Amino acid sequence: MKPLIELTGVQKFYGDYHALRDIDLTINEGEFFSLLGPSGCGKTTLLRTIAGFEGVSEGSVMIGGKDMDGVSANLRPTNMVFQSYAIFPHLTVAENVAFGLRKRKDIAKSDRPAMVEDALKMVGLAGYGDRAAHALSGGQRQRVALARALILKPKVLLLDEPLSALDKKMREQMQVELIRLQRHVGITFILVTHDQEEALVMSDRIAVMFEGEIGQLDDPETLYRRPKSKRVAEFIGKMNFLPAEVTSASDVIALDVAGLGKCEVPQEQAPGGATVGSGVVGIRPESLGILFEGETTDRQLVDAVVDEVVYYGDMTYYDVRIAGVEEPITISMKNMIGRPVLDKDDQTQVIWDARALVVMP
Amino acid sequence: MSLRFYTIAYLVFLYAPIMLLPIFAFNDATIIAFPLSGFTTDWFGELMTTKALHDAVGNSLFIALTTAALSTCLGMCAARAGAMPHFRFKAGIMGFVMLPLVLPEIIVAVSLLVVAVQILGLGLSNWTIIAAHTLICTPFSIAILNGAFQNLDPSLEEAALDLGESRWSAFWSVIFPLVMPGVISSFLIAFTISLDEFIIAFFLTGANPTMPVYIWSLLRFPASLPVVMALGTILVALSILLLTIAEILRRRGIAKAGGKDTGGFL
Amino acid sequence: MTAMAKGALTADQKRSMLLLAPPFAYALLLLAVPLLAIVLFSFWTQDFITLDTTFTLANYQEIAEKPIYFALLQRSLYVSGVVTLVTVLLAYPVAYFVSFHVHPSRKSIWLFLITIPFWTSYLIRVFLWKVILGYNGVINTGLTQAGIIDEPLTFILYNVNAVIITLAHAFAPFAILPIFVALEKIDRSLLEASQDLGESKLSTFFRVTLPLSVPGVVAAVLIVFIPTIGDYVTPELMGGAGGKLIANMIQTQFLALNNAPLGAALAIVAMLSVTAISLVFVLLNRKWLRGRA
Repeated sequence: MKPLIELTGVQKFYGDYHALRDIDLTINEGEFFSLLGPSGCGKTTLLRTIAGFEGVSEGSVMIGGKDMDGVSANLRPTNMVFQSYAIFPHLTVAENVAFGLRKRKDIAKSDRPAMVEDALKMVGLAGYGDRAAHALSGGQRQRVALARALILKPKVLLLDEPLSALDKKMREQMQVELIRLQRHVGITFILVTHDQEEALVMSDRIAVMFEGEIGQLDDPETLYRRPKSKRVAEFIGKMNFLPAEVTSASDVIALDVAGLGKCEVPQEQAPGGATVGSGVVGIRPESLGILFEGETTDRQLVDAVVDEVVYYGDMTYYDVRIAGVEEPITISMKNMIGRPVLDKDDQTQVIWDARALVVMP
Repeated sequence: MSLRFYTIAYLVFLYAPIMLLPIFAFNDATIIAFPLSGFTTDWFGELMTTKALHDAVGNSLFIALTTAALSTCLGMCAARAGAMPHFRFKAGIMGFVMLPLVLPEIIVAVSLLVVAVQILGLGLSNWTIIAAHTLICTPFSIAILNGAFQNLDPSLEEAALDLGESRWSAFWSVIFPLVMPGVISSFLIAFTISLDEFIIAFFLTGANPTMPVYIWSLLRFPASLPVVMALGTILVALSILLLTIAEILRRRGIAKAGGKDTGGFL
Repeated sequence: MTAMAKGALTADQKRSMLLLAPPFAYALLLLAVPLLAIVLFSFWTQDFITLDTTFTLANYQEIAEKPIYFALLQRSLYVSGVVTLVTVLLAYPVAYFVSFHVHPSRKSIWLFLITIPFWTSYLIRVFLWKVILGYNGVINTGLTQAGIIDEPLTFILYNVNAVIITLAHAFAPFAILPIFVALEKIDRSLLEASQDLGESKLSTFFRVTLPLSVPGVVAAVLIVFIPTIGDYVTPELMGGAGGKLIANMIQTQFLALNNAPLGAALAIVAMLSVTAISLVFVLLNRKWLRGRA
């Protein structure tokens, strides 16, 4: 993969406020890359730094091998889809899409209408050219914003929380659209979002950010299965945490997990590193199971009492209490035909597998 | 930043004439010109002893107070109606009530003069001026009170009604205290407008001139110019004081109702 | 909402109407009726004190025939036009500065500072300009004392220029505020989007900011142009013989010459001219804006 965007040692201060801390980041050509994190973590600041709307206090931003220091936004090979879409209300859809073409002397005037029509077709708005921009729905506006940015054939498309203003159904539809679009156009997409589900679905790689720093940078599966820290684990999906004693940390890690007991796991299940002493172990709700009556298993079992039952339609979430652990742990079970639903205070057994444990520092 | 420089230069241009007032009000010379001649408070002293001035001030105060009260009342009605559900022609009626804002004052003065004197045969008196001033001050009251009423949470009144208040008592116990800063603001602004207003007063004044009309009469006599400067200094200081109070209250009113300050009452 | 008979009013609507009634009735009585009276009067004649109510076009005839009235009207429209142009042009950068270059928490302070002079006595402000621009006034004596000029400048008072300067000063805030409001409404991300798409800051202003601020500019133009036609004080104090405007003539007819009908007719003619010009301006703007789309 060829690197396209390289951020080295980037720091950004707003007065005393340290917005971006020591950012080292490489984004490759053709990647669908996401910046994920809670509000205020600096992801939008980082995006705007790449776009050229913010400068950096220290460090360098390189795009396509060129240093972007001093290069203003209008001269960078990036284009942005704004959170509010920023569609010009006093122009038609076609005029909006053609807006950036005016300064492009290399594109013949006679070619422009056809280009606009192609761009609109690509986002599914063929024939909308003459509509007044202010009369569009949210989803339509977003498509116009996409067409307007993509018609200029940028090296990078930056998207600032593009789906946050849409309702759930629209959002799911657009997620698929964006993936399809990115594959079709083949350029790098950088997406900023606070929705971890969105990032997991669409991205090739994700950088999870907290308080101006990158917590972990990996592909979605690695992030989900091998989070390096409690923070990352909690932010992506649901995670149960159990206190554990690390008794040895050589090429095999020996653990004594509260409530579950002793076990051994390979190094790769401790992505953040493990040291001897007290630690924390994480396990996802779907990696645990309830042993219903009449079922058998050859996995490890531990006794439990049901604390809370939440029905979700396709899944049921059980909060159960096991001996030796203060907080209840959450287990998700698919609602299969023939499977009973337990009640509060029922006695049951929990199935667990050491291979699903993640050791955290 | 050249724009900042331009704006500051613009502000200097706006304030320049007013700055002259205190300079020449204390200047010991009968001619308003440079170079300055020395400090004196004679002109202010003269103000204190001129009976005609005192009469004119008394008149102006009476007119201004009454006008402020009336236009604030009318403004409250209109602003309250403005925040309530729409009915046909509502926009047209509101626009009509706000019309005096863009009409040249002389048209208002002249048409009222015609009606009052020639058609109704009424003599001109303070009340004709009050009527006219109320007409032009009400749109300003509405503009200010609109802000106050828009910021009101409608569920506050509903809560009061739900707890047993009548509409009238709900108004006095819940709504009025919350729009009070706007009310005071509107009162002060209407008062200031009426106090300073000249054209209409000039046309409609009866036997008792208002203060601006009195000043106008002084302008003919060059010897009285420094006294006018002194009077002007007091007037301007008073206006600025009243306006500052009105602005502070307006801001507090917005903060109390939990809204955001968008800058200015327009 | 429960279904209602078509045309019936809800209780809230009725209350709304009731509340709007007093101000509306007041405006009707004191604005509409007198304006109607003026229109009527313009068709009557007056001989000293006696009013002849036979319908006649004599007043309008006189206005059309005697060249002085047309000259005055023309001069008034010219002055108002120039004042409007100057005021709005000078006001736009100030409104832009406060909207785009001032921190939001400070904006109302700047606006407050800008509008304070407007609230002080108009009469006194006009008079002060006379003091500033006069033969022995502040500018002349100041410049003479500083040795910059030997003879006092005479082109700055008692003519149309003086009237224009004074009116531009008086109406400045009227122009700044509507433009400011329109600029505030512009979504800032539109400006960033424009730059992101390749426009410089300057071309962004002309392609995005200026077109979107046009409603404010139109409002500013109207708010300055229409009332300045009726200004009487400034020409009286500053205009000299050659600087009198139509409002002065109206005042003269009413008060000095006791010819209310002629004054009324003049007022109507002035208002109609102003309204006509304003309508043309607004319509042209609409066409220009739509034509660009």
